[in-house]
Amino acid sequence: MSSTSQKHRNFVAEPMGEKPVTDLAGVGEVLGKRLETAGFDKAYVVLGQFLVLKKDKELFQEWMKETCSANSKQSADCYQCLKDWCDEFL
Amino acid sequence: MADQVDTMSDAELRTKLAEHGFPIMPITASTRKLLVKKLKMVLDNKTKPRNSVDKVESRRSLARYSSGEESDLDSSNISKEKRSRRATTGGAMLPPVTNKSRRIPLKKDSPIKRDIDKGSESEDEKSPVRTHEEVETVTTRRVTRTYAANDQDDYETGSDSDVDAEKKPSSPLRSSSRSSDYISSTLPSNDPSPSPPRSSLFSRPTLSNTNFSSSLSSSDHLNSIRSRLGLTSSLADRPSGSSFTSNYTSSAFQPSTSTIDEVESPYLSNFTRRLSSLKAEPPKPTTFLDRDTTNGSPLIPRRSFISGVPRSEIIDYKASNDKKFLKNNLVSLALVALVALFFFCLVFMYIVKKNDITSVVDDQNSVIPICQFNLPGHRPGFNCVPQEQVIHAKNLLKVIHPKLTECAAEYKCGKPGALPYVTEREIIDLASARVDVNQCRKDLNNLQVLLVNNPRWGINVVQTENLYSPDVKYIPITSVDMVVQQRNKGSVALALSDPSTPISCLFVNTLYSAGTTIAVIGILSVLLLGLQRFYKYYIHCQKKKSEEIYSMVEQIIDVISQETEDSGEPYISVDHVRDTLISPQNREKMSSVWDAAVKFIQKNESRVRMEVQSVDGEDCRVWRWIASHNSPKRSTSWQGQAFVTQEGSVNNLTVSPTPCLKIRNMFDKNDTNPNLRTVIQDVILEKCERSNILHIDIESASCCVYVKCATPADAGIVYKNLHGWWYEGRLITVKYLRLERYMQRFPGSPSSGFYLKPSRLRRTWDE
Repeated sequence: MSSTSQKHRNFVAEPMGEKPVTDLAGVGEVLGKRLETAGFDKAYVVLGQFLVLKKDKELFQEWMKETCSANSKQSADCYQCLKDWCDEFL
Repeated sequence: MADQVDTMSDAELRTKLAEHGFPIMPITASTRKLLVKKLKMVLDNKTKPRNSVDKVESRRSLARYSSGEESDLDSSNISKEKRSRRATTGGAMLPPVTNKSRRIPLKKDSPIKRDIDKGSESEDEKSPVRTHEEVETVTTRRVTRTYAANDQDDYETGSDSDVDAEKKPSSPLRSSSRSSDYISSTLPSNDPSPSPPRSSLFSRPTLSNTNFSSSLSSSDHLNSIRSRLGLTSSLADRPSGSSFTSNYTSSAFQPSTSTIDEVESPYLSNFTRRLSSLKAEPPKPTTFLDRDTTNGSPLIPRRSFISGVPRSEIIDYKASNDKKFLKNNLVSLALVALVALFFFCLVFMYIVKKNDITSVVDDQNSVIPICQFNLPGHRPGFNCVPQEQVIHAKNLLKVIHPKLTECAAEYKCGKPGALPYVTEREIIDLASARVDVNQCRKDLNNLQVLLVNNPRWGINVVQTENLYSPDVKYIPITSVDMVVQQRNKGSVALALSDPSTPISCLFVNTLYSAGTTIAVIGILSVLLLGLQRFYKYYIHCQKKKSEEIYSMVEQIIDVISQETEDSGEPYISVDHVRDTLISPQNREKMSSVWDAAVKFIQKNESRVRMEVQSVDGEDCRVWRWIASHNSPKRSTSWQGQAFVTQEGSVNNLTVSPTPCLKIRNMFDKNDTNPNLRTVIQDVILEKCERSNILHIDIESASCCVYVKCATPADAGIVYKNLHGWWYEGRLITVKYLRLERYMQRFPGSPSSGFYLKPSRLRRTWDE
């Protein structure tokens, strides 16, 4: 991925605070709703899962697919977003 | 082995994963199923090599398809084998263990897949009737199939409810009742696992549906793919079935239809398996196509059997057909060749004929002025030819014609000293070998008369300009009188009117002219190239020189500003600058650059003025640095403080009462910057980098910026840093705001946690 989306940059720019899950890059309304029904209503909950999966890309993408039927692009975006955020703030 | 994975404890699972090289990670409720799935996949891949056939096809979840088949291979009843195979494929997909494990494949179904299932379900309602009809005509085996399909209906409602209930995964009671339903409705040999058989059996009704009603509108594109698939396989299936029923009894050919199904059923189950893992593996269509072709190949002999002609015969027939076609083509090709040859000959003959002088001369259309001695104006050899002399003249022409051609060719080829004509003397020399000179002279005169009268013969009587001049000019003579006139001067010759150049000569000439052209072009291009090179070099030199000058100018200005600043004198001697910049050995060489630089500064540099000053009693040119103390670089946005907010000033509060601030007048109401919020945030954060700011927000309606700091002390720092500053031409005022009011306005603002940081890179900030 040569360039990142505006959403990605916005997310990575600051601490996530209480941001909703839809603020994550790659997670739109539909995926957000699915994630919320699965209990992942805030971005930090997804971050938790991301960290529990030890930042493993493959497993995280698999999990995204299982949980909210994300396609590989969406899950890769989300993964990259969380990874960059962690590199920045963790 | 895969069954055990589901029941494993967390610790076992962890060790297993570690064995297979996975990172050890916490096994929680949310990660467990993922890890289980991973482990299963790994185990599947490891156990796979046992069966080479299925290895490629069912990488994902069908670990035990092959083993199930092996166990049931001995069963004598074909229909039973068919059904059990279906059952085992189902079992392979889903071991009936715990509720948790069952959820995995269900969840794997994409919404699309669910749609398919629902779509085919509606078709399914119609299909049993049709399959019944089909069954009556074809085989008994199909009865079991429709029976299974009917079972499927009952069973289907159960599984459908499962799809709906999928959102609430914890329903063990429901699932167990479902499986028991299923067991009761199907034969005991079936593996009681719900979802995979559903999909594998589903393809069956769809297939029969497309068999008998071709106009089936499928709502989903995947569904249409599936039905198309069914159609392709049924193409082979249908004719065989119908022909069998029409020609023979159905019982006699039952085995053969069963082979069809044998061919079909793995195919279909493979496909449905593929469908179930569709979402997981996008590049499936290619492999699927492969299977299509391999599955299609065993069908070919049957097709040829229907047509009644063995395949090899068809090939033979085709080959013989090709031969016949070739034969026919041979005749037509020969005809074409003949025609081409004919035209070629024609052209050749035409070329030859053109040069054949005898045929031209003997032509009846030639104008031959015969001398009639009773007419007074006729003088033989001058304007007419005696009747008996015509033949001699013609003979002479035939004798000299080769010589003429040769001369013309030699001249055309550019042979040195060659002339394009043959003079009278030469002709007489040539001809006198045969007849005596007088006769020859007479013949020649007659011939000249004939030639003048017959320009068609292709030979001109010409008048030579100068016999010995290097340029061989000649003028054709068109009247007999002129001939007579010139004949007395002895400057009459014969020449071919349109001499053809020999091919070799033509070739050489062409080569020569081409060579000349190429040489000229080459010289020209070399010249152009040289010119271009020179121009480039010139440009390069210019550029280099100007670069040198500019760098010199920059150095000079640096030196001037530096020296004037250091020494305190506002001017500096020009020569002094030169001597500091250029080393002694380069001074001569660089003089032109230096002069240019000096000229440039005099002309284009406003900060430096050249004047004459007396330095140590000597007048010399100096540069005066007239640039005022250039202001330190500052941010474009912050433009300085209007009033003091430091300690002790009246504007400074000694104690900051709250951690919240309200900043007014930082932006305009009609500010259209879309990133206004980030810009302002960055500006504030960069200005107040020593304070911990938790939250910044703007309110466009009142043009206020609200800032929340970690502590009141931080707010005090921000207050001092911002209050009374000019920002982009606006004077900013800051006021403290009570925390309650702030929280009222921004209830979501964090009360602790991360401090904000500027989103952009750190800018250079001189204060």
